[in-house]
Amino acid sequence: MESATKSFQKGEIPGIIAIDEATCKGCDSCKRHCPTGAITGMFGAVHRIDADRCINCGQCLVSCPFGAPFETVDAVETVLTRLNNKDVAVVGIIAPAVRVAIGEEFGLPAGTLATARMYGAMEKAGFKILDNNLAADLTIMEEGTELLHRIQGELSGGEAPEEGHGPLPQFTSCCPAWVRYVELNHPALIPHLSSAKSPQQMAGALAKTYGAQKIWGVEPGKVFTVGIMPCTAKKFEASRPEFISAYHHLAAGGGTYSGEAFPDVDAVLTTRDLARLLKKMGIDLAKEPGSAGDSVMAEYSGAGTIFGNTGGVMEAALRTVHAVITGTEMEPLEYRDVRGLKGVKSASVNLIDAKTGKALQVNVAVVHGLKENIGAIVDEVLSGRSPYHFIEVMNCPGGCINGGGQPVHPEGSGWMSAIAPLFAWR
Amino acid sequence: MGKKDYQYMENPFQVTRREFLSITGAIAAFTALPAVWVRSRVTKRNNYLRARAAGLYLDDRNAKIRVSHGNPVVTKIYDEFAHAPLSEISEALFHTRYINRSKGIA
Amino acid sequence: MDDHALILKHPLRVRMFHYILVISFLPLALTGLALFFKAFDEPAMNLVMRIHVVAGVVLTLGSLGFFVIAYDRVVLFIRRSFAVTVNDVKWFAVLGGYPQKFLLRKKVAVPPMGKYNSGQKLFGACMLTGGALLIATGWGLWGFPHLLPHGMAHAFGEIHLILGLFLTLFLCVHVFLGIYMFHDFKAMFLHGRIPYAEAREAAPLWVENELVALRKE
Repeated sequence: MESATKSFQKGEIPGIIAIDEATCKGCDSCKRHCPTGAITGMFGAVHRIDADRCINCGQCLVSCPFGAPFETVDAVETVLTRLNNKDVAVVGIIAPAVRVAIGEEFGLPAGTLATARMYGAMEKAGFKILDNNLAADLTIMEEGTELLHRIQGELSGGEAPEEGHGPLPQFTSCCPAWVRYVELNHPALIPHLSSAKSPQQMAGALAKTYGAQKIWGVEPGKVFTVGIMPCTAKKFEASRPEFISAYHHLAAGGGTYSGEAFPDVDAVLTTRDLARLLKKMGIDLAKEPGSAGDSVMAEYSGAGTIFGNTGGVMEAALRTVHAVITGTEMEPLEYRDVRGLKGVKSASVNLIDAKTGKALQVNVAVVHGLKENIGAIVDEVLSGRSPYHFIEVMNCPGGCINGGGQPVHPEGSGWMSAIAPLFAWR
Repeated sequence: MGKKDYQYMENPFQVTRREFLSITGAIAAFTALPAVWVRSRVTKRNNYLRARAAGLYLDDRNAKIRVSHGNPVVTKIYDEFAHAPLSEISEALFHTRYINRSKGIA
Repeated sequence: MDDHALILKHPLRVRMFHYILVISFLPLALTGLALFFKAFDEPAMNLVMRIHVVAGVVLTLGSLGFFVIAYDRVVLFIRRSFAVTVNDVKWFAVLGGYPQKFLLRKKVAVPPMGKYNSGQKLFGACMLTGGALLIATGWGLWGFPHLLPHGMAHAFGEIHLILGLFLTLFLCVHVFLGIYMFHDFKAMFLHGRIPYAEAREAAPLWVENELVALRKE
């Protein structure tokens, strides 16, 4: 990471993932999972990560048979200090995919839904709960509204999208690895990215404004927000200089706040990190009786919770877009065409506009596993031939449930493409 | 050189038919069983992902509210604070912009 | 009995296979050690890994070929290597008399052995099972590390490493004793024959039970 800081803004953490030279056996398996070719080192030699190319997804970390890649950023001690400080309100922002994976760290089978246990364990540890599923619901409102604006902008004619309406198709922007992938490799696609922040960053901004003032009654500077994420790229995302929006909002908003600047999200713990923190505090999640959550900030919808799955953001968006356009709820609410582990899923939804009576066809696509599946989709959009209005992209195969911050399941591998041997040579 | 330049060799029939078959069986078993076991493990390799995904879909089915626009707290946040999606406050707090980083890897 | 008579100990097929083992296993052991110790810089490590892979392919193909062409010899080898008798225990109690011979210049009584002595049997059994495991795990690690479940890929790596080191150690002993038993060395590398007297001394049970005399022409 010496000089590898060319693709970073001031303040950003360069290189969330690094490879331990003593552990690496040069087997090349990480290269097969790396979506950006950021891993260098010939077959047989110790591998390294080019931080400038790396999008911090952590797929190498969860895929290495020998556990050589590691996270360079560990906030466990920082969070423990804040939890011990009674002046500070530590807010845990719990991402959807964490609740179905953290149990594995405590001996529960994969897929055990542990929302209540997590709330209980984290409240015991001293966290206030802000379920990121709530922010996911907010994301749907913001991103869905933005999508409708883009579609309406397109329908009202005009080659160039009018001011404020980006071009179609709209890409989701929840996945920080995907966002960095676009910024690095396809800057021409930036206008296609939804301007909506990821749920984590919305939650951070919300916690330090509305949450601090109206829910918890704490001074915003005394709120310490901790993203509990299935994701290593979230550590990078939280360090982006754009994300001190709560401070700017408070400082500009009639001068109500005049303290030091603070980021929207102060620290990020991966699922593994949180398990380590709880274990350090002597809390066994598996034995927790559970809690319903301490505030309204833990109220979430089913649409918010499926964000952690590939296709989940799309399904949640379709439920809301359907209701907004047709005036009725989608029936049934499950939209199976966008579920499952197929690399690229696409669907067309026909909606009758309740106000105009006109039919509107919305074409959507869902991509996960960037390395294998994003190429064709990007080419279509760049050449202007993309038939889609809305494209959900998640870097990790399967979505956030297989994120780089998740527990490494000993009986699993995230590899989903063809079972072809890839005999390394170079 | 004579027809054979050695006078003794191993008896070619020293392995009995029974021994031959049991050794063949053992070889077959020791190759086939691990291979079958590895194969079955490999085909199940994505199951933990399916289990985690199923966990989230279960959470969805169990939820009282299943659509984002139906979440009362979302409504409350817009009513009390952010006004509406894409409002000035929403733009300030819930939206962002992106930068071109392509020069960093050129 | 004619002490100068010759016995065909290693038929041609066996000698050929042994050559394949020599040209594949020695480089595999050496490059394996270099890989383990990360001995060189990046391009050199890559070269070392390539040699390791090529030698591994040669070993695999050679083994498969021998299996097909000389299946009877494989069965015979397995029967001899895995047949344990009370003599083997006694043999290991005096370690075949070798340490006494080398270190104390003393000859001790050794229980009668078959074609392979107990040490060779152990070596054979370990080479066969260990080699098969090394080949299987090696192919897994080379071709499918991305596909195997994490725990299994990790186990493959550990098995490959431990067996590799273990068999390399065994190989050192084998090479030393193989050259020391010079009649056998010549038999394996050249003509396959050993003198009758030599065989009766080292492998009395083999000479007694498993040999047939060829008809005099």
